[in-house]
Amino acid sequence: MTKFKPGLVTAHLLTWLLLIVVIAPLLVVILGAFLNVSFLGLASEQWAARKGDGIFNHGWFAYVFHLYGSNILFSLLLAGLSVVIGAAISLPGAYILATCRWRGLRIFEEVVLLPLSIPGIAMSIGLIEAYITFRGQWWLILCGHILYTVPLMTRVLTNSLRSFDIARLELVAQSLGAGWWHRFVFVVVPNLRHSLIVGSLLVFAVSWGEFNVSYLLNTPLHQTYPAALYATFTANSFQVSSAATTIFLALIIPILFALQWLGGDEFTHVEQSA
Amino acid sequence: MSSGGPRLFLLLPLFAVIAAFLLYPLGFLFRQSIGGTSGFDFESYKALFCDSYARAALIHSLLLSSLVAVSSTLVCLPSAWLFAHNLFPAQRVVRAIFTLPMSFSGIIMGFLTVIMLGRIGVVPQLAQKLFGHDYLSGSAYRLHGLVIAYLYFEIPRATLTLESSFRKFDRRLSLAARSLGANGWQRFSYVLLPLIWLPLLSTFAVTFSASLGSFGVALIVARRFSLLPLEIYQQIIGYGNPRLMSAMAITLVTIAFLVNYSVRLAGDRQQRVI
Repeated sequence: MTKFKPGLVTAHLLTWLLLIVVIAPLLVVILGAFLNVSFLGLASEQWAARKGDGIFNHGWFAYVFHLYGSNILFSLLLAGLSVVIGAAISLPGAYILATCRWRGLRIFEEVVLLPLSIPGIAMSIGLIEAYITFRGQWWLILCGHILYTVPLMTRVLTNSLRSFDIARLELVAQSLGAGWWHRFVFVVVPNLRHSLIVGSLLVFAVSWGEFNVSYLLNTPLHQTYPAALYATFTANSFQVSSAATTIFLALIIPILFALQWLGGDEFTHVEQSA
Repeated sequence: MSSGGPRLFLLLPLFAVIAAFLLYPLGFLFRQSIGGTSGFDFESYKALFCDSYARAALIHSLLLSSLVAVSSTLVCLPSAWLFAHNLFPAQRVVRAIFTLPMSFSGIIMGFLTVIMLGRIGVVPQLAQKLFGHDYLSGSAYRLHGLVIAYLYFEIPRATLTLESSFRKFDRRLSLAARSLGANGWQRFSYVLLPLIWLPLLSTFAVTFSASLGSFGVALIVARRFSLLPLEIYQQIIGYGNPRLMSAMAITLVTIAFLVNYSVRLAGDRQQRVI
């Protein structure tokens, strides 16, 4: 490229600027979690990280784990269950949606994908109001997570099923005498392995970061990690909040990079996590 | 293909989840908003549009969402174009970084905004050091701070949505126009724009409905003015008016649905024309 193109240069500059805007706050948070910032003056909860006197300090993490360890475990449990249950529900559903040509199924598919595009808070309110008698049960939070993650998983799987000629493969298997159950288990599922991995990672990430349902349905006994993060942001010092956020990021960043490498662009369609 | 009849039961779990956690709660909310079992009226909707406080929240929400949607769509055009043509170095890493904010809960965005643009945020402090005046101090709590916070997670979403539609754009059309002597601006306005106005519109719809329902950011940051999701939240924790709250939630859902659906309809029509 020999000719100077002002438009191209501007586009590059703008992209770099966006990149800096995205990264800068994260860097501040991660630094805030590790650096000993006592040089800024006295901070609340300074005693919690007394162990390290150097410039690097990881005392905050122990403190955060001590405070919110149970929330982290609860969120991990929810995310794991969402993946398992989501896959168990979506896999057969997506198979039918992609292979049956009945017109009513198109409408049903639209309805299934609705949770991805309508405001999360409205659905959380709906869950709370409709199942008010179960409020405080931990599995109601799980139900909320499943409501978000099942459409996501279904979308990944139907997209994948439609991208190759599953009907032809099935016909081949059928001509060899395989019943529909055999075809499902030995033809359909193995072909979906990649999408299942992508979908599971997506579901895990979404469930791990989900705030709407978790926060509105939570109780002091069953609080998810994002809900605990909110408590941290409102009550704890900057360093403790930063350490807690860093723990959150430590789990989500590897997942996102893995998704990028596996080619899962479905994140653009998740609208609830905000 | 074999008849789908007996296999339809595979759809049952999916159907049960959607019916129990999506359709029933939304129906419940709607019934509650129009007055429950004993007769019905639209008083709560009237209140939503006439009561000055609720109406202000609704207008703020719509205003903020459209502002954020328009600006993120415009800001992201150049980056999306670069990504679509593989012109940016280390693109995979950059795209992975761009997907980061989408998985954050809104509260983390709120926290980051406060860190960067709060009263003693990083940006004002740097400005103080460099220019001697703490520009942008406390802007996190004003309208433009809120717009920036929302942009933080809409920029990635808009970039990736636009990128995927740019990728579908046939470059030969642009080359043909070029061989006919069209300059850059003509190629953009007569060839590219007529083809991409729809992706632009759908990016607008995606970002619009995401910010419309966003709740965590506003929960941390909004001080001066109210938003509809925040109003709903206030109603549910304050044991407010359940009818008004349901009406608010249903209104949010309806707006998001209409915006998304009309864009989809426009897209279908264009596809039929082509």
